[in-house]
Order: sequence, then C-alpha cells, then structure tokens
Amino acid sequence: MNVGRAMSIGIFALGCLPFLLGRATAAQQPGGRVGAQESAQQKLLEEGEKRFHANCGRCHQSPHKFPPRMVMTIERHMRVRATLTDEDMRAIVAYLTQ
Amino acid sequence: MLSVSLGATKYGWLRGLLLALAIAPSAFAQGQTQAQTATQTEAQLQGPPLGQVDPNSPDVILPAVTAVPVFSMGVGMITAWQGGQPNLEPLISPVGLIPIGQKWLVEGRGTFESDLIPDPNGTGWKGYLEKEADYVQVDYIANKYVTLSFGRYLTPFGIFNERLYPIWIRNLQSDPLILPISTGPSGAGTGAMLRGGFNVTPKAELNYATYFSTKLTTNPFDSDRDWGMRAGIYLPGPRVEFGGSFQHLLQTDHSNAFGFHFAWQPPPLPLDIRAEYARSSNGSGYWVEGAYRLGQAPVWKDELRHVQVVGRMQEYYVGKFEDEDDDLPMVNTKLFEFGLNYYFRDDIRFVSSYGRQFAAGGGNANVWTVGVTYRLAVPVGHGDAR
Repeated sequence: MNVGRAMSIGIFALGCLPFLLGRATAAQQPGGRVGAQESAQQKLLEEGEKRFHANCGRCHQSPHKFPPRMVMTIERHMRVRATLTDEDMRAIVAYLTQ
Repeated sequence: MLSVSLGATKYGWLRGLLLALAIAPSAFAQGQTQAQTATQTEAQLQGPPLGQVDPNSPDVILPAVTAVPVFSMGVGMITAWQGGQPNLEPLISPVGLIPIGQKWLVEGRGTFESDLIPDPNGTGWKGYLEKEADYVQVDYIANKYVTLSFGRYLTPFGIFNERLYPIWIRNLQSDPLILPISTGPSGAGTGAMLRGGFNVTPKAELNYATYFSTKLTTNPFDSDRDWGMRAGIYLPGPRVEFGGSFQHLLQTDHSNAFGFHFAWQPPPLPLDIRAEYARSSNGSGYWVEGAYRLGQAPVWKDELRHVQVVGRMQEYYVGKFEDEDDDLPMVNTKLFEFGLNYYFRDDIRFVSSYGRQFAAGGGNANVWTVGVTYRLAVPVGHGDAR
C-alpha cells in the first residue's frame, strides 16, 4: 500500500474521531439524560404528593384536579393563607399539574 | 477547492488531514449542540433545585402557564337546634382571587348568611341577612421569607380563624367558644401584615405572621385597633405543628391576649387532632378536636371511607373584663360535641352533630346541627400561553 495513501487514511480517520465521538456522545446523552430527567421528575412528583398531604391535606380532602392555570393562582393564595414554603409550592404545583 | 490543486499522490495525506479538519469541528459542534439541547430541556422540566429558586415566579414551574383569576364559592344549608329552638342558617360565601404579575394577588371573601327562626306570629320563618366582608386584601410576595398583606385580613390568632373557619373546611359547624378571643366578632383586622413560611432545617418549617390593625366601626368592615403576632413550627415528617399567638389591644383596656395551638395528623392514619388555648382579659378557654375518616375499616370499605367521625371538647371561663359585643359566652361554659360527616365528593358533604352544653346558671342544652356544604371553584379566563 502506498505510504502516502495509508497516512492519508490514518490522518483522515484521526481527524474524524471527534466527529464520531461527538455523534456517539450525542446519541448516548439523550437516553441517559432522559432517564435522569424522568427520575428527577418522578422524584419531584412524589415529593409533591407527600407535601400535598402534609400541607393541603391538613384542611382539604384528596386532590381535586384543577386546570394548571387555576393551580397557579390557588397555590399563590395558599402560600399566603397557609404559609406554604417555596419548596412546598413548587413540589405541590408539579404534583397537581402533571 | 484547495485539495483539487494539490497532487493526488504526493500530498494525499495532507488532503486527508485538511478534509478531516474541515469536517470535524462542525460535526463536533453538532454533537455539542444536541447535548446542550438535552441539558436545557432537562433544566426546563426539572426546574432549579429545591430551595435554590425564587418560586415567587410561578413561571419557573410552568413556563407556558399564566395564572388566571379564580372565582370560588362555598354554599351551606345548616339547620341547628339549641335547647329545642330551631335555626335555619343558609349561607353563601364567595371568594375571589386575582393574580397580578408574578408577585401580587388580590383576594377577598364575603359571607352572606341568614339566621332564620320560626315566626311566633305566623307559620313561616323570620330573620335577617347578615353581610360580612371576611377579608379583602392585597398580597405582595416579596421573597421566600416575606409576604406583605394590606387591607382587611383575617386576624392570625391561633389556627381556627384563618385556616379552619370556612364551612366547607371545618369539621363541626359551630364555632369554638374561644374564637372571639382576639379575633373579635368580625374575625378580621384592617391594616398591614407581614408573614411567611420557610424551612429552618430540612425537617422543620417556621411560619410567622405579625400585624397592625386600626379601629373601624363601619359595618361590615369593623375591626379593633391592635397589633400582634403568631409563630409556629411545623414538622412535615410527623405532621405536627405547634405555636403561639400574642396580641396587644391598643384601645379600651389595652390588654394583652395570648394563645397556643397544636395540630397533628399522624401519617399512617386518616386522623386530625387539633387544639387551641386562648386567654385574654375577657376570658380564657380551650378546645380539643379529633376527626377520623373510616378509610381503614375492615368492612364496607367503599362506603365507610366517605364517613368521618368527629369529637370536640371545649371549655370557656369568663374573665374580669366583660365586653357584651365580643360574642363570648357570658357565663362559664362547657360543651362536648360529636359529629358525623359524609363526603359524597371532596366538595360536597353532609354534616351533622350532636352536642351537650353545660353552662353556669342553668344554661344546659342539647345542640344539634344537620346540613349540607358545597364548594365550587372555576377559572375566570383562559390565560396566555407564552
């Protein structure tokens, strides 16, 4: 084999390595991130359910599903009325809307 | 173009190198862009970590949703018998919530209630319509620690007046005997309030409210001139809350009042235990209430999970300073009540109770209540999707 041709192929392959690695990373990351994303989301919903029962459940019955645009207002109201914390509000909104 | 001008054999390796260098950065950048997009999507869905955000902005949670005004209303039809004397008490309580921007909320609640008794001169009922502006306030959520409220607000003394008063929430339809202590007949103050709730440790939350109210005598906006504060600790794990309230009256006898509250919902059980104690120059007393949903009954589970049994014991002792307008009992009084509620849905329920009152001076009586309560809530507007 021509040395020049061999070097050419080798360098081309070396040059394409970042491309291949980039594609591989991009192909790999969504799956991994989606998994982590779902896990984080699931954790937030579980936390929201827990906080709903710990806070809202002290005066109200089990969740009554409202449209998200209502939940945003009601949570603001309950933040004042029942002194919900920031963390409570975020988790409960996530639980009631998703 | 450059590679074409180079020799095919002699500079073949150089051609390959140039070609690779030309392709690689764009391809690598493409990979990076996709990775960044995935990261951004995750950040949008997941939101910032708990405790490190400013959720004063609800947009942080649902970027595409705008809060809309909400109209809500509680309706009740209660019939009570005290010492054999019947009272019809139909009640409507509208609530309005108007969010403005991301940090403001205008809210109000009114009560229209009739107290009808049999007409001694006829066969019908007679009575009057009582109108009350429970609260009309503007809230500004300054940050995660502080919310400012202006206007007419429910006096934050104890837990019943602010949280448990509405007929669609309370377990027993009669008011606790000590409710008027420091909340007065109207249950509200007119002025300004600072309040908030936040985590002091991962397992404990602190909530507080401090307020100043001016005197108003115009019905239905009457209020006393006073200042006060309430603070409580809530432990979300065992679901225990305890705290205290203080109020200094800036009129008449310039007296102080204080109280303590306690609430516990043991997590494995559908059980609510609540208690309050309050003391002022007008009098002192306590109430202890337990409410249990029969969701864990071994038989007829589907039916019994709608049933709630309630028991409440309370006592009131008259103080040195008597104010005839404060709605407190004029004599020492004990009252035990037993209630049975049935939840058709989470917003419609049948309520009933029986109580026995022991009052000094021969005021012993049976107290019965039967009724239905209903709550509705609807959005006003569609909101904007941004």
